[in-house]
Amino acid sequence: MLDREQLGFLQTGVSISLAACNPAGLASISRGLGCKVSGDGQRVSVFIRHSQSLELLENVRASGRVANVFSLPSSHRTLQLKGSDARVEAFDQHDLGRIETHVVDFIGEVGPLGIPAEVVRAMLAFPADDLVTVTYTPCAAFSQTPGPKAGEPIGAAP
Amino acid sequence: MRIQLEHIRECLEGIIPGHIATCDREGVPNLAYLSQVQYIDSQHVALSYQFFNRTRQNVLAGSPVRLLLTSHLTGAQYRLVLQYLRTEVSGPLFEQMRAKLAGIASHTGMSGVFRLLGSDVYRVLDIEPLAGASLAAPLPSNNYLTALRRTAQCLGACSSLAGLLEASLDCLAGEFRIQHVMLLMHDQPRGRLYTLASRGYPESGIGSEIPVGAGVIGICARERTPIRIGFMTSEYAYGRTVRDGIAADGLGDALETAIPLPGLPEARSQLAVPITAFERLLGVLYVESLADLYFGYDDEDALVAFAAQLGLLMDHHQQAEDLAGDAPGPTPPPAPPLTGPPLEVRRFPANDSLFVDDQYLIKGVAGAILWALLTDYVERGRIHFTNKGLRVDSRIPLPGVSDNLEARLVLLQRRLEERDAGIRLLKTGRGSFSLSLARPVRLSEG
Repeated sequence: MLDREQLGFLQTGVSISLAACNPAGLASISRGLGCKVSGDGQRVSVFIRHSQSLELLENVRASGRVANVFSLPSSHRTLQLKGSDARVEAFDQHDLGRIETHVVDFIGEVGPLGIPAEVVRAMLAFPADDLVTVTYTPCAAFSQTPGPKAGEPIGAAP
Repeated sequence: MRIQLEHIRECLEGIIPGHIATCDREGVPNLAYLSQVQYIDSQHVALSYQFFNRTRQNVLAGSPVRLLLTSHLTGAQYRLVLQYLRTEVSGPLFEQMRAKLAGIASHTGMSGVFRLLGSDVYRVLDIEPLAGASLAAPLPSNNYLTALRRTAQCLGACSSLAGLLEASLDCLAGEFRIQHVMLLMHDQPRGRLYTLASRGYPESGIGSEIPVGAGVIGICARERTPIRIGFMTSEYAYGRTVRDGIAADGLGDALETAIPLPGLPEARSQLAVPITAFERLLGVLYVESLADLYFGYDDEDALVAFAAQLGLLMDHHQQAEDLAGDAPGPTPPPAPPLTGPPLEVRRFPANDSLFVDDQYLIKGVAGAILWALLTDYVERGRIHFTNKGLRVDSRIPLPGVSDNLEARLVLLQRRLEERDAGIRLLKTGRGSFSLSLARPVRLSEG
């Protein structure tokens, strides 16, 4: 449902966040440390810290429903994806390089806004054994770039 | 120790945007960015409502609310659970948020896009710090309790309103490290604020005016609430552009524009705090800086406490000057006979404006006071005066007992000194003063 350009956007220096709700409707949120798109462009994987996300992971396992926002600080371009088949997977150590690239890109994005690199590194720091991956098929996408078109759906559900 | 909202207020400044997650009735989660979270008290925050989006639909439909906030100083993250209470679309909270949002919008290139429609008030049910690394918090720039203690001692020892004003500016510079300050008094009947003291500007601007409701200072006065902006924004400029936009409302009550308002043209941080006493607005304390985010929540708290004491002491000195007896002060040495060409003092009755040797001096109540003093001097050789006497003088259009007569006298005294016009007012005791002239005076009207 996303084109190549949009899929590429997910893997730039964007701010990434992931949310899932419990049965009472209370959501939990975690920051994503990076993102990966499957070769066919159908599946999106977000890397998060296990120790920060116990409640979120429980919600994902129970409902499979996630909301995932990607926002580029320099342009405010913001995209929200929804998934209903999300799964919690073990982190593949081969993806460590993607996280480091993402952190460097993100530092480059927020530096001009006055946020020092060491603050970003603290915010996105992780022990290597504390990572977990949440993977889902986007079933809806919305532009959330601030302005008159905020909230408009992108593409059509598959 | 359990985390309290007071411990994480830097997360609310909008430097790193917060996230808000909600859920619709079908159980679908929704995630969005927050431009602004406003601290209200230890159990309440307000979120800016700018667009009617999915988040708002979910909130109004009763969804629980989760926030993720991040400190731009340490990188520490916190998750909060909130309960929606109500939306405010006017009043102090709304104006505080509207001003702050204008700064955030300007800083992030979103001026014209971010527009506050309402302040959504929430109760904070839980705050959870996230596991993970964070940097040590930077040392606070000030110990505000010590600063307030020393300031309280200093201000409490002042014996006059003029002395109190000077001590206030000294304390703000010395104890609070604030270099650019204006102190404006409220002229209630005219809906104006006039500058009575300032520090840190090339020109003092004493006597300059700004309408209640205009810019950071005017909105602070109208809403009687602190207004704080952390980034440069033209929307809340308080200077000439604001004043130019105010239509003159009749010559007799026109805004003082001959005296320029002081101020930093490139101020990036602004904070205005109302000065009140017994529910009455006395004036506004305004501070500014060339640095972004120079004033935070702690600075605001400290200056509100500072202004509370300042207001009570101003009220005290005002009353003390008014109530002081008519007993004459120490007899001054006999004045030497005045020589030289006379000072030409011209009055324009329509607005009580006075010109000395064709140079504008002052207008309004302060102008009327000086004209009365000079008339008594020319007609009767009188040089000793009392506040009590001025208050019952029918030539002086004081609006009532609530008017700060002593502040008008301080304004006049300072304006005369700045202009070095050859006319001075010298305090001779509580509630009494004398007129001192360097040359003879000739009065004319029209």
